[in-house]
Amino acid sequence: MRSFFRTPSVRALLPVAASLLLSSCDLLEFSPNDHRAPESERDLTAKNLAMLAQRPLPAGDTLRFVFTGDSQRFYDDAEDLVKSVNQQPGIQFMLVAGDISDFGFAREMRWINDDLRKLKVPYLTVVGNHDLVGNGRKAYEAIFGPRNYSFVYGDTKFIFVDTNGREYNFDGTAPDMTFVKRELADNSVRRHVIISHVPPQDEDFDPALSNSYVTALREDPRLVFELNGHRHAFSIGEVFGDGVTYINSSSFESRQYVVLTVWGDKQFRLKQVKF
Amino acid sequence: MQFRLILAALVAAPLAVSASISSVPGALPDSVGVPTAPAPAGRVSPSNPLPWYRPNHVVLQTGGGLGMIAGGAGFSLKDRLDLDILIGYVPEKYAGSALSLASAKLIYSPWSLPLHDKLTLKPLSVGGYFSYTHGTINDEEPDQYQPGYYWFSTDTRVGPLLGSRLSYALPATASGRSRNLSAYYEFSTNDLYIVSYVQNRRGLSPADILTLSLGLKLDI
Repeated sequence: MRSFFRTPSVRALLPVAASLLLSSCDLLEFSPNDHRAPESERDLTAKNLAMLAQRPLPAGDTLRFVFTGDSQRFYDDAEDLVKSVNQQPGIQFMLVAGDISDFGFAREMRWINDDLRKLKVPYLTVVGNHDLVGNGRKAYEAIFGPRNYSFVYGDTKFIFVDTNGREYNFDGTAPDMTFVKRELADNSVRRHVIISHVPPQDEDFDPALSNSYVTALREDPRLVFELNGHRHAFSIGEVFGDGVTYINSSSFESRQYVVLTVWGDKQFRLKQVKF
Repeated sequence: MQFRLILAALVAAPLAVSASISSVPGALPDSVGVPTAPAPAGRVSPSNPLPWYRPNHVVLQTGGGLGMIAGGAGFSLKDRLDLDILIGYVPEKYAGSALSLASAKLIYSPWSLPLHDKLTLKPLSVGGYFSYTHGTINDEEPDQYQPGYYWFSTDTRVGPLLGSRLSYALPATASGRSRNLSAYYEFSTNDLYIVSYVQNRRGLSPADILTLSLGLKLDI
């Protein structure tokens, strides 16, 4: 047996056989809802945050990131977006405002990651309504990570919230207001940025929670702006006229994104980029 | 525990069908008798065809989007066209919730190549399948969405399949029907993967949307 594996031709074939076996395991899909994936394609939020932690931003330095959303079945556009973003100077990461997938399948999320992992910077996502179709919530958690999470970069806390209330039949759990209030109450950082998929003025936002969500944002003195996706069109404005700026992202197929530069307490500049 | 029970049931189902059917010929009155000599063993006896409603084979497979394990029975027409009905299962660990899948496969294999006195290869099998998944977490509930909110079904999938089958001749049944134990593989995909690929022929490759199933088929 030993000598068999020592034969040069057999040894040369071993890696080939191993990779065939691995890819056939991947091909043996139990269901489109099957969310098994190789280790390198799981827990992508944690992996991207670890990458970000390796390039820290000194407190007081200008923050600059790309903001886009709704990658949803736009794989050709995703390739072009990556090429364009990779030419942006001085950006630290990219945010995707949900709807990574179209059908809530892990395979779709991995297809998007196949493109976005070619970015020179880490990327972070928030869960969208399409990512919650069928068994999508478990696929998203397996491939990316928690549906509500936050991280601190430089002196800004980024808060990611699942606001896709309709996917939970408006049962009062999304957005998780306990999480939102706790995160917004964090006084240890200079600024807050909150990002979610469905904006609070949308009919897919839980109507029983929109008022308390909007109020929590208005009462947060550290909030720079709220970022959303879902509408597939860029917009910026004080939607509720209460001093809180809401920015909605373009989708991948509209072939544009924005670069946000943040400094001071709440000052920011927005640049639209077409690709 | 529940998973083990279902798994055992899935494995047992084809065997049970096989057992109940193989016992039937004995129960049939041989004395009703066809006056001709009995057909030699190992050859199909045209005078004793299976009733139309009785499955010709049992199936057990994995993958292909139809279950971690899927078992069932099927019908054959002229040894070329197979209709297989399968019940599949995926444990919660792999899909987020325990899924049961009901599926039907229609497979056409135009050629049979004898390789050896007991081995036959069907080099090409083409066909399609339909599957229905029960047990997803966010199944569309009445009034959850406006009509057309999502244009696709989360439960119902259809797709093409393409594969090959290798058959080994087993001793014929008591009634003289030839029997094979076959192993097959099938590459398949589904409607939503196809839509994804067709609209992104640069960003995705055909290999990206493939799934594989491996299975066994036993004539009864």
